[in-house]
Amino acid sequence: MTKRIGWLILVLALAARSATAKDVTPVFKTAEATHFTGAEGVELTPSFYDYFYAELRDELKKSKLVKDVVGEGEAVDDADAEKSVVISGTVSEYKKGSVVKSRLIGFGMRSLKMDADVTRRSDKQALCVIHVHVKVDPSWNEKTMAKFAAQEIARQMRKEFAQKK
Amino acid sequence: MRLTGKAALSFVLAGIACAWQAQGADEPKPKPENTVSVHLTEPVPPQKFANPPKFWIKEMADRSGNPQPMLVLHSRGGIFLDRQPTVIVREALEESLKSANLLAADADSADLVIRIYLFHFGLAEGSGLDFFGKVEFSAIVKNPKTGETAEVKASGTSIAKGAARKKNIQKNVQEDLEESLRDATRNFLRGQQLKDAVTLLSKGGEVAPVAPAKPEDKPH
Repeated sequence: MTKRIGWLILVLALAARSATAKDVTPVFKTAEATHFTGAEGVELTPSFYDYFYAELRDELKKSKLVKDVVGEGEAVDDADAEKSVVISGTVSEYKKGSVVKSRLIGFGMRSLKMDADVTRRSDKQALCVIHVHVKVDPSWNEKTMAKFAAQEIARQMRKEFAQKK
Repeated sequence: MRLTGKAALSFVLAGIACAWQAQGADEPKPKPENTVSVHLTEPVPPQKFANPPKFWIKEMADRSGNPQPMLVLHSRGGIFLDRQPTVIVREALEESLKSANLLAADADSADLVIRIYLFHFGLAEGSGLDFFGKVEFSAIVKNPKTGETAEVKASGTSIAKGAARKKNIQKNVQEDLEESLRDATRNFLRGQQLKDAVTLLSKGGEVAPVAPAKPEDKPH
């Protein structure tokens, strides 16, 4: 009986997931992801920002919220500017964490906080601000945080703009 | 005592020889089965210019500082490129310019001459769960008549999923590199920086001459 319920939940979850992915139609013509910056005191390597930029673009493509994801600094047709967004942001806090604390008492996770601003390209109007807080095991590569943060931004954007539509 | 000394010397020499051989065995070598051919699947259409100039790519310089630019992946027997990265990037840019009739027939007939400094071509350090392809270069666009120059930076990235089997790794890496090459070409040809450079140089505008780019000037 328990096994049957488990299968049912799994099937429903998969069906809901596929329905969500199919339902999303592009809201914006283009989206430009920019390299995020680090606030003072944030000690992350430049390669982290490069990787995050690539991951964010990849996640935006996957989200199907945008027709075309353009690179940083690319020109967009004036006709498309009103239906285009620019995503910029700042990493406000980064804690390296501690493997010892994590193993002994379960605290000391590696954590990252960032704020992303989604602005309309034509008039620079802020459409939404996304706050992201990612926590991972301190023994994990810092780039995995970039992956999770990018996924979270794309998820929140989908939630925000798919509803507004 | 003499015999012991000779034996010790022979032992040391044998050890060095073994170590040398082991090192040689670890170093991947290019073979047809571990070599990939990276090129654009189709030319990237450049942006529209008010007065379309004719470009000519005069020079390509590798400023990556990579001693083995054709070795893309070291592990699993290695993955190599079939040509130098500079040749691949040049071909991609020339094909794309040609497709929009923006490529001059020769250097003398060109309105703008481009020198390219390649800073990165290949895989960069990622999360370990996937492949992170990156192409970065900087172009010095020059108006040969006025001698004025402007710098244009471009970069392209791509994320491809990881794989366990060698055949799939090779396929994913190749796709990743092609996607990042396409992205960098597009970033250059459709970039606001190129638009501004063309506008200013076509007018013979007041663009401050820039020194040749160095690796530390790497675009971020």
